[in-house]
Amino acid sequence: MKTYHDIVSDGGSGVAEQVGEHASRVEERLAQVTDIVAIMSGKGGVGKSTLTVNLAAALARLGCAVGVLDADINGPSIAKMTGVRGHTPVPTDEGMTPAMAALGIRVMSIDLFLPQDATPVLWNAPTQHSAYTWRSMMEMAAFREMLSDTQWGALDVLLIDLPPGADKLPNVADIIPTLSGALVITGPSEVSRMVVARSITMATDVADVPVLGLVENMGPITCRRCGHEEELFPGVGAEGLSRDLGVPYWGRIPFDPRLAHMADTGDMFVDGYPDTPTATAICYLARTLHEHLSRVRIGSLS
Amino acid sequence: MKFLCVACDEPMKLRETRGPDNGSMAIIYRCGLCHRDIAMLTNSMETQMVRSLGVKIGAGGRTEAAEPMEMLRSSLSEQRAGISAPEAGPAASKCPFTGVVTSAYAAADQGLVWDESAQARLAAIPEFVRPMVKKSIEEHAREKGYREIDTSVMDEVKGRVGM
Repeated sequence: MKTYHDIVSDGGSGVAEQVGEHASRVEERLAQVTDIVAIMSGKGGVGKSTLTVNLAAALARLGCAVGVLDADINGPSIAKMTGVRGHTPVPTDEGMTPAMAALGIRVMSIDLFLPQDATPVLWNAPTQHSAYTWRSMMEMAAFREMLSDTQWGALDVLLIDLPPGADKLPNVADIIPTLSGALVITGPSEVSRMVVARSITMATDVADVPVLGLVENMGPITCRRCGHEEELFPGVGAEGLSRDLGVPYWGRIPFDPRLAHMADTGDMFVDGYPDTPTATAICYLARTLHEHLSRVRIGSLS
Repeated sequence: MKFLCVACDEPMKLRETRGPDNGSMAIIYRCGLCHRDIAMLTNSMETQMVRSLGVKIGAGGRTEAAEPMEMLRSSLSEQRAGISAPEAGPAASKCPFTGVVTSAYAAADQGLVWDESAQARLAAIPEFVRPMVKKSIEEHAREKGYREIDTSVMDEVKGRVGM
């Protein structure tokens, strides 16, 4: 009896070719994007999205054309943090129009498709019962479409803000083979270190994605009156984790409560408070990232 | 997935699709040698999984270029006003599976009729929960195969949504 591999055609659908077309569509769209960087942690609540938005702003201030794709399908926050929730994407021959945030940052998020604050992401189906069997597939399809069908234009850097979970980066790497790497964000706590360590192993050993750098967020807080510096969350720090796992340590970002306020109002902290220790650290991180990506590009040419 | 006629050791060809019926599709294949027909019956989870792939199953597969964010725009349950549905997307495709599923769901969405008393009762529900309640009732109606929603249908889901 014939086996699956003995039969050339699948009956005429060409499913494999159609999946290949999806990949080609992604490749064509990203041909104009020089570098694609995933911002990940694995751990929730370490400030990935806030840092993503401000890193985008800092890169834009360096003169880069920047885009941000919100890969958090169920908890999108980038549109709110960049103040672009009023934009509704419009289909054109060139793709869906992204929102244009301050400093010319292009933003795409599923939040731009949802009608109200309390509207969850639900997919049409005869029933939502047992939706766990297919919901994640719909989410990845939506992510792929937002990546391939957004009118990004020519970008120097596209930042992809990943939701928590060690599994997210391998999924994204499958869709984007040209991913430049991942910037890993951790918090100071032992709990954060443990979860992030798993995500780094997943990135390097399973997804085969280079970890560009490890960044410790929510670092020390400085009193605005007396200048006294104190740890917000005393912990073990990220340098040890960096050594243990052999990934570059790219520093720590001091905490500033005004980060949260600026995120709520849709403004960029690095623009509003450029001389603070936090903004200085984020701008330094942006320069480090920019220089690293440039070095890798030059190295790949030689 | 491929289908093989065991008796003839011959790959089978897709002949037609039927449904969806409560989320289930019937996909009928025929052997080109002995002309035996078989039907693959999907449950609603399997139907939805194929739909999420964004591929077209059947002779010819996809015959037109996908529109921007076609799957997202045709499948997101609640969308902003101003987000237009794909014009020539899955619903307009010649796909004997995915296209059929999507167009049938679209037809089902259009086919649900709320009678006047049901509309009035829905309008009396507080605005902040109304979309969720409406969605639950329409889901229930589709599960049951109803085409019209009246107050008796609403009573059936009363306990579930706390109306």
